[in-house]
Amino acid sequence: MSASLKAKVLGNRPVGPQVHLMTLAAPAIAAKARPGQFVMLRVSPGPEPLLARPFSIHGVEGESLLVLYQVVGKGTGLLKEVAQGQELTMWGPLGRGFELGGDDPLLVAGGMGIAPLAFAAESLEQKGASFRAMFGIGSREAFTAWDAVSGDGDCYLEHWDWAAASEDGSLGREGLVTALLAEALDRRTGPVLACGPLPMLKAVARLCDEHGVPCQVSLEAPMACGVGACLGCAIPAKAGGYLRACQEGPVMDAALVDWGRI
Amino acid sequence: MSQRPDMAVKVGGVELANPVLAASGTFGYGREYSPYLEPGALGGLVTKGVSLRPREGNPPPRIVETACGMLNAIGLANVGLEEFLKNKLPWLAEQPGAVVVNLYGESIEEFAELAKALGAAKGVDALELNVSCPNVKEGGMAFGCHPGAVGQVTAAAVAEAGDTPVWVKLTPNVTDLAPMAEAAAQAGARAVSLINTLMGMAIDARTRRPVLANVVGGLSGPAIKPVGLRMVWQVARAMKARHPEVDVVGLGGIMSGIDAAEYLIAGAGAVQVGTASFTEPGAAGRIAGELAEFCAQQGVARAGELTGSLHT
Ligand SMILES: Cc1cc2nc3c(=O)[nH]c(=O)nc-3n(C[C@H](O)[C@H](O)[C@H](O)COP(=O)(O)OP(=O)(O)OC[C@H]3O[C@@H](n4cnc5c(N)ncnc54)[C@H](O)[C@@H]3O)c2cc1C
Ligand SMILES: Cc1cc2nc3c(=O)[nH]c(=O)nc-3n(C[C@H](O)[C@H](O)[C@H](O)COP(=O)(O)O)c2cc1C
Ligand code: FES
Repeated sequence: MSASLKAKVLGNRPVGPQVHLMTLAAPAIAAKARPGQFVMLRVSPGPEPLLARPFSIHGVEGESLLVLYQVVGKGTGLLKEVAQGQELTMWGPLGRGFELGGDDPLLVAGGMGIAPLAFAAESLEQKGASFRAMFGIGSREAFTAWDAVSGDGDCYLEHWDWAAASEDGSLGREGLVTALLAEALDRRTGPVLACGPLPMLKAVARLCDEHGVPCQVSLEAPMACGVGACLGCAIPAKAGGYLRACQEGPVMDAALVDWGRI
Repeated sequence: MSQRPDMAVKVGGVELANPVLAASGTFGYGREYSPYLEPGALGGLVTKGVSLRPREGNPPPRIVETACGMLNAIGLANVGLEEFLKNKLPWLAEQPGAVVVNLYGESIEEFAELAKALGAAKGVDALELNVSCPNVKEGGMAFGCHPGAVGQVTAAAVAEAGDTPVWVKLTPNVTDLAPMAEAAAQAGARAVSLINTLMGMAIDARTRRPVLANVVGGLSGPAIKPVGLRMVWQVARAMKARHPEVDVVGLGGIMSGIDAAEYLIAGAGAVQVGTASFTEPGAAGRIAGELAEFCAQQGVARAGELTGSLHT
């Protein structure tokens, strides 16, 4: 069962250009959180901005929850100014997370897509399951954010089997992560778990479909309630009609999504 | 020290444990919010608008935040009558609190058919006719903008609903709301609910495109409270003069117990909480608690005393 609570901010620090890591005390949410699920977080108690913002659960440490966020607008701009000790209204865990079964999954993260996938990777590690990861980034500079994000400062990338593609060639392969994925798919891989910008997810879904590899994507949509009530977060469904990103998602089987209408 | 106030009211033919209901379209079919509210915290809830057949709704984007509010163009997406009766109502019927079913038809015949089926269903305490949705092409607001049509739709539903009271939800997107309320009252409505959302739009200046796929949408949230209060005050005065048996249910931008009290003072017998539930899933329950606290602090013995108590 999900819970709504006033979560005390335990930490809120920059971990890269425009990327911040927030730690919140939220025992009732932390206890239930699964990789791929999200929370709704109100950045201010007043009427402005009015709506809560959805954020993937980046990790759980004991009774606290990690949120890794990029400053893109009004709400996240205010969020980065929130001081330690302040309380924020938050509810969750919400939605459907990743299914972590399947042999040797391949995690494909574009940009902030690392936020839920790091939690998935952590769970896979705890289960002793093997997996591989691929990152798509703009440049190496942006990537420095991600190797410092695990809460205890431990660089989790040290014990991952990973590869990267950067648009400017400053880290790993020059180009898009989908080029790396295409090669991996040509060789053979386990199921793909992907999160990132929409164009990337579209390309990932298409590649997986072409190779007959199961693919789960974490999708974004504007959200108001986060609990399945407002019907604002519609994702076009292959079968016709719409799926709710907050309820049937945010993680969906890529084959259920009508990528042409999205 | 003040005693605990009596919060029970009877509004639109329905006994409510307190005057706070959750508003249509913002509370799903109730169950979505059950993790976040104590059972019995609310006087009742109004369901998402039910239509004869399931509706997919509009293409996304369907919602956008605006200054102290939000626009929505959901397009009355809903599971349809059959699924509602089979899989949504049975759970609702077992919960404490009144169940008001909001319904929407594309023709007078559809309103009548829905009223018949839902009026006869066990666990439905009242019907709320949505003649005011700004987000659908057929019917919807078209019915709510002409007193003649409001009267016809209401009369047709009242005739089929049996003993189940009929409420009519009015749109603020008219020059004068009083004739609509008058038509509903004359046709046998037990209450009028107002306001539905105000038509608005949002534009992305950089792309020069509308933000909503539907281009226009309905504005809700704290931004619309002054409009809602004004309309409730006007309609309540008119009802008191001509149809004292018809109650007014007030809504629009209620975020706190004080906001709810303001609507009661303006003339509402009960209130509905909409968008506030999006800002905090337990909002409607919190507001009911705050209203009781306000009554206690003000020495109001019965919540009903607030209704229409505006000093002018
Ligand atoms: C399930 C889910 C999980 C998410 N997880 C994370 C996460 O872990 N880390 C993170 O940094 N962000 C995440 N996001 C995106 C995050 O919610 C938005 O970046 C945030 O709401 C922007 O708020 P703002 O007020 O700063 O921006 P606004 O001022 O509201 O908007 C700024 C820009 O961001 C765009 N935007 C606003 N909301 C969204 C949205 N929901 N999705 C896509 N674009 C949006 C707007 O179109 C606009 O261009 C997630 C979104 C969803 C739906
Ligand atoms: C997302 C959303 C969906 C709505 N759906 C319905 C609906 O199906 N039927 C209806 O009568 N009103 C609907 N409404 C209107 C609300 O019930 C209410 O009249 C309006 O939002 C004003 O109240 P508020 O400011 O408290 O939200 C909807 C509102 C929102 C925000
Ligand atoms: S965000 Fe409200 S239904 Fe998904």
